This record gives sequence, C-alpha cells and structure tokens, in this order.
Amino acid sequence: MGIRFRNVSHEYSSYTKKTYKAIQDINLSIEGTNEFIALVGHTGSGKSTLAKHMNALMFPTDGSVEIFGSEVTKKRNKKIKYNDLRRQVGLVFQFPEYQLFEETVEKDIMFGPLNFKVDSEKAKTLAREALSLVGLDDSYLNRNPFNLSGGEKKRVSIAGILAIDPKVLVLDEPTSGLDPYGRQVLMNLFSDIHKKTNKSIIIITHDMDLVYRYFKRVIVLKDGELTFDGTPDKLFQSDIIEQNHLDLPNTVKALKQLNEKLNLNLDVYQKTPEAAAKEVRRVMKHE
Amino acid sequence: MNMIDVQNVSFAYSEEKLTLNDVSFSIKKGEWIAILGHNGSGKSTLAKTLVGLLEPQSGEIHINSTRLTEETAFDLRKKVGIVFQNPDNQFVGVTVRDDIAFGMENLCVPREEMLSRIDFYAKKVGVEEYLDKQPSNLSGGQKQRVAIAGILAMRSDILIFDEATSMLDPYTRNDLIHYIKTLNKEGFTVIMITHDVNEAILADKIMIMKHGEIVAFDQTETILKDKSVFLENHLELPVALEIANLVEDEEIRRILWEYVSET
Amino acid sequence: MNSIIIGQYIPGNGFFYKLDPRTKIIAIFFLMISVFMLQTIVQLLIAIGIAVVILLIGRISLFKVVRGLKPIFILLVFTFIFQIALNTEGTVLSTATMHFNLYSIISAVLIFVLWRILLRFGKFKILLFLAFAFALYFNFRYITFQPDFYFFQLTIYEKGVEMSVFVVLRLLIIITLTTVLTLTTKPTDLTQGLERLMHPLKKIGFNSEDFALIISISLRYIPTIFDEAQKIMAAQASRGADFSEGKLKDKLKQIISLLVPMFIIAFMRSEELADAMESRNFVPGEKRTRINILRFSIIDIYTGLFTLACFAGTILVKVML
Repeated sequence: MGIRFRNVSHEYSSYTKKTYKAIQDINLSIEGTNEFIALVGHTGSGKSTLAKHMNALMFPTDGSVEIFGSEVTKKRNKKIKYNDLRRQVGLVFQFPEYQLFEETVEKDIMFGPLNFKVDSEKAKTLAREALSLVGLDDSYLNRNPFNLSGGEKKRVSIAGILAIDPKVLVLDEPTSGLDPYGRQVLMNLFSDIHKKTNKSIIIITHDMDLVYRYFKRVIVLKDGELTFDGTPDKLFQSDIIEQNHLDLPNTVKALKQLNEKLNLNLDVYQKTPEAAAKEVRRVMKHE
Repeated sequence: MNMIDVQNVSFAYSEEKLTLNDVSFSIKKGEWIAILGHNGSGKSTLAKTLVGLLEPQSGEIHINSTRLTEETAFDLRKKVGIVFQNPDNQFVGVTVRDDIAFGMENLCVPREEMLSRIDFYAKKVGVEEYLDKQPSNLSGGQKQRVAIAGILAMRSDILIFDEATSMLDPYTRNDLIHYIKTLNKEGFTVIMITHDVNEAILADKIMIMKHGEIVAFDQTETILKDKSVFLENHLELPVALEIANLVEDEEIRRILWEYVSET
Repeated sequence: MNSIIIGQYIPGNGFFYKLDPRTKIIAIFFLMISVFMLQTIVQLLIAIGIAVVILLIGRISLFKVVRGLKPIFILLVFTFIFQIALNTEGTVLSTATMHFNLYSIISAVLIFVLWRILLRFGKFKILLFLAFAFALYFNFRYITFQPDFYFFQLTIYEKGVEMSVFVVLRLLIIITLTTVLTLTTKPTDLTQGLERLMHPLKKIGFNSEDFALIISISLRYIPTIFDEAQKIMAAQASRGADFSEGKLKDKLKQIISLLVPMFIIAFMRSEELADAMESRNFVPGEKRTRINILRFSIIDIYTGLFTLACFAGTILVKVML
C-alpha cells in the first residue's frame, strides 16, 4: 500500500490553446509508512502539481495514480470516494491563512475529523492530540487562531491535517518565509512527528541544507520530469546536482572553498556546521 | 551628510505596548543598511514611519534635512520609495506599464515624460518585454522588479525593502538581492528589512531590533564577530561563519568571511 | 491558471477595436433608442440586416455573437411563450386542446429523457431545444387517450405571434449591440470611457475618477482572488470538505470555510494595498496625470455620422409612417 505513480502526466490547457505539461511521465512509488522524503526543484518544475495528485485534488490527464489501493485516472470512477482518499493522504498548504476559519483553535482542528464523520467527542480528543504533536499545549485550544503569531498559525494548520490521522503527510513549502532559526525548529518538529508516528512525510522545499541534514530520500523534478530519486548523499556527491541547476548545501560549499583556497584535502560532505568544523580541525592537526 | 536622521522616535498601535521605543539612528547617503529582527521586533513599523505611513507619537524624523511631517510627507515620499513583502498586494496597475506609471501619475508627471521614463526604467530593471503583461502572468520576482521600477521612476534615491524577498524562492531571491546590490553601487541609499542574516550580510551596516528597540547597530563585519548578539536574538549565522566560529582559526575565518561577503 | 478573461473581451484588431470607447458607448446608446422606436417586424428585420452588415465589416464573427446570446436564450424563449400565451388580439391562427393523461405524460417524460441524452452528444443545443419544445407540443396535442387528468385550450392569435416575434427580434438586436461593445472593448478602456463621459457629474459631487480607479483595481484583482479561492478550496478539500457532495448543513459549513479565509485575506490585502498606494503618493481626489489617454480619430467621426444617420432615419420613419 501507499502511493504509486504510473506514467503520470498532467497537461494544462488554457484559452490561448497553448498546452503545457506541468508533470510528465512520472513513475514513483511512496510507501504508506516510514518515509521521509524531500521534493525539490525550481519554481514551475511541477512540485505542487505532483503533490496535488497524491491526494486526488488533481487527476492525471494521462497515466494513473494508485492511492492506497484506489486507482485514480483521468476518468472519474463512481466507485471511488475521492474525498476518502484525502483521509489517507493529508496535504498541508504553504499559507495557513488559506485554511484557518473557525473562532477557536479547537474548532478549527476539529473541522477535518468532523468532515470525515468522526463523532464530536472523538474529534475533540484528536484535536488535542494533534495540537500536542505540533508542540502547542492545551491552553491554545480556546484561543482565536487569527490572534496567533505566524509560526503558531502554521502549527495549527498542520495540526488541522494531523487530526485527520492521515497515513501520509505532504507539506508544500512549510519553511518558506521563515528565518533560518524558525526553519530548523519546524524541521525538528517534522522529524519528531515522523519518529513518533511513523507516518510517511513528504516535504516540498528549496533549502538544500535541510535536505542534506534531515531527509532519507530526495525526489528532484525538473521541467515536470522526475530526474532523480535517491538518497541526499547520492544526490549531492554526483553531478546530478549541477544538471538540475540546484544548489549544494552550505556546509559543502564552504568546505570546498577552503579546499580551494588553502589547498587542503577536506572531506567536504559534512551535514552540519559542527561536523564540518570537526573535519577542518582534524585535517589541520595533520598538517 | 546624513540622508536620514531618526531622533527618539516612539510609536504605539495600542496603549499597552510600545512598538517602537525611543529609536535613534542616522544613515548616510549611499549607505546600505540591513535591519534584522524577528516578527514583532518593530522593524516593519519603523519602515512605515520612515515613509510617513505612520506618524510617531514622539520624536523626529529628518530626511535630507527636512523634517517629516504631514505637510512635508508628500514631497519627501518622492525621495523615499518602499517595496513591500507581498508582490501581489502592491501591484496597482492592470498592466506592467500602468503599474510603473502609477506613482508618476500621482506626481502629475506629463504623459510624454512618463512614457520615456517607463521605457528607461523598465529596461533598467529588466521587465521591458512585459510592459503589456498583466500581473497574473508574471512571477513574484518580476512583480518585485516592477515595483522597483515604479519607485525609481518617481526619482526616489532612498530605497526601502520591507522583507521584499521573503516570498520569493531562493534563486529569484538571490537575483533580486544582487540587483539591489547594483543599485546601491550606483549611489542609491538602501534600507533592507529582513529576518535572514544571509541577506543582511551584504549590507554595509547591520541594525538588530528587538521589542521595538535597537539592540545593536554597527559595521557588518564588527557585528558578525559578536556571537552573543546573534545567540541572544535567535539569529542564525550563515553556515560558513558558523563553521569559522567553531574552528577558531584566523586564516579560516578570513577566507570564509571573504567567501560569504562575496556571494 | 494563466489568465482569466474578464467580461467577454476577446483580443483582436478589427474596426471596432480601433474605436474610442466613448464613441462606442454613445453610439450604442443612440442605436438602442432607435431600435425602441421601430414599430414593425419589417423595420426590425431591416435593422438586423444593417447590424449583420456592420458586424461583417468589423470582421466580428457572427458565431461569437451567437455564443454571447447563449446565457439569455432561456429569457428569449420565455418572452416568446409569454407573448404567445397572453396576447388575445387579432384573428385566431390555430386552436387546439392540450391533453394531459397517463399516456401523454409518460411519453412527455420519455421525450424529456431523450432530449437530455441527445444533449450530451449533440452540438446544436439550441436546435435540439426547439425540437424538444415542438415534440412536447405535438405530444400533448395528439395523444388523446382518455381519460384526461387535465386539459386546456391552447389558442394562438395572429397578434400574439406577431408580438412575440417582434419582442424577440428587438431583444436580439439590443443584446447583439452590447455584445459588440463588451467583445471589442477592454474592461479598462470601458471604465475609462465611462469615467470621461461621467466627468460632468463632478458638479453634483460624483467623482468619476475615483470611481474609475476603484473599478480598475477591482478588475486587476479578479484573477488574483479567483486563484486564491481555488487554493483555499484545495486546502479545505484536503481537510475533507467536499464542495460537490454532502448534506445542506455540511455544505453551509464548507462554504463558510471558503468565505472566511477569502474575506480575511481580502481585508489584509486592502490594508497593504492602501499602504502601497499611499507610499507612492496617491491622494484620493487629487489631480493626477494619466498614462492611458483616449483619442478620437477619423473613424470615430465616421461612426458618429453613421449613428446620427441611423437615429435620424428612425425618427423619420416614425414620423412618416
């Protein structure tokens, strides 16, 4: 079980009659548990389109997406309840402003479970659990979501999806617009949720530092095509990174610079500044 | 000569809390200042007082030796242009041409003059191909460039960027920041409000704000050496400098500093 | 979502595109008055003939104009039926008893189902509808197996037919005229044209410039807001809000879940936009120069003369006949 993309394409057509393929011939397999995947690529590479196919918000114009046993194709199948697929795969959008609408945090988080016909008592429990998963305590339950800070809103919006208890959680650029410190705090949170619940988590991001430091698997899209699917180590140590016009992590770039300027022989593939500093000290001791 | 002089400025949205608390500083012509701080530190409020969108309850702001008041705001705003965070919420025109013209229309610039300025500044910021395009056909980065062209066309010489890059992807953001760097080299005074140290590092001077007060304001290189300011304010140093701090070797520090300030 | 056409404007560069929007608005105003002064079907047919010739000269595809008629097709049909049913003057053209019995109702249902099925494949939807209407008429008229649950006399008078044709033709011309306007004029030009025409109203306290600015900013934000609505719907759909199914009570909640974020974002946007405009020295009601200006050219004069001729012609016809 999980999500399987089989030769999936999505073609947009507009009134000017120019059509273009947002994603093209994607083959991809995502397990229903224990995945921690980064989805990277430039703006317009089709990342968001791909994500929307994962919970049947979009239908392929070609090929098929199997979502936990249900086959989603161009044609609507009356036997499939597409709404129920969204209970298996939760999608969190970039701006919490797009989803918060209730007068209290509790009611807002309960919106999802109630839509899926969970009874009200159970929905309350789910809301509480989801809120604690995103690192907010019960005192937030009765607060107005619109009076929260940006970061808190983001957490509440993530809790709103977690309360549905999806098997797979997809987040569209959750760290964009945050400062580096906020980005790390949020990434630690996702990493925690992943460890605690074993849910598969897929995160769309531009930040190569985060990709290198946190993820088990990276999927790269370029102009709608899947150009890489593997570990971050493999990605950053090959020339695939240049072919896709992607950046190297900052640790690697800094160490490469030192190698060049000081003629050192540092192993540049270090994931954190601490590891990088250790490597520099190790090599300098030898000299 | 001081381009901007801020003396003991305080501002409060409500009675309970001062958003700006007795802020004083000055900026020289042609300088590039980065104002760093988290949300709620008062940095955006400061920017709004500098263009006269908000009037401080106490203190004075002088721009080019003229005091900013309700009466002088219209004239001083010709000198100070501001680009906001959300590219969509500052695009007034139906097309790129209309949007660049908007500020000039308000200044009653004659039409012939407007047309020639639009051509000139559209070319300057690199949007000359899109003059007839509508905002929905532009990327975020292109919209921000249009906003820059709009204020340049008003002949502003102080440019304020209020988190103008925070909604862009890293690649577009880099492009825009390098463009801002070029503008600064041409002589424009730049004030860049940001929460990203990686951006602030390109400025001549960095100001760090917290709870409406200035906690540090100095040359960029000096400020970056003071680790405690960054730690206390939860500001993350650029990775290369963090490595330099951990290694504690002068040579390494010098090379990494050069590397960071170049890119 | 690349771009959404606002209104019905279709880019092009025929004769009507080159006209000043003010000319078009004034011309259409006077032509409409002329149409209302015409009194017989023959006069209207001549007017239609002239209209078609103008459309051909302006190289506007008749097909597009007909497509523009689609939304008001039902209105036309109802007007037609009302006129026929309510008018009881003149000689009787036909009279027939309409029978409502078990068989005629069953076959009416069958005809209805057949029509819906054909509708899915057929391209000529309007023709199909007419065929459906005639089939119903013959159905109730000729399936006469007793007993009738209900029956009535459908009498069609000469005057009724005449009036219905007349009214429908008149509506057709008026709609065609406005379609030409919206088809060939950018919404921004249209507002600017209206602004200039309403400029004299300043004396009674109506500021047409501010009004035009409000309209043009609204036009600029329609695609943005539309795009946003789609994103919000996607976000709420991910939380199980199914906008297509569900009970009425659930649906209400789902609509609220769409509207609240839309309003909150719109509110934030208006504040930011106001700041952006003020920082670029916009002061409401103050004098501004304009980048977009309207200029009359020689073709505007021709159009004006033509309109005048049409107007004078109809007055002449009305007085003489």
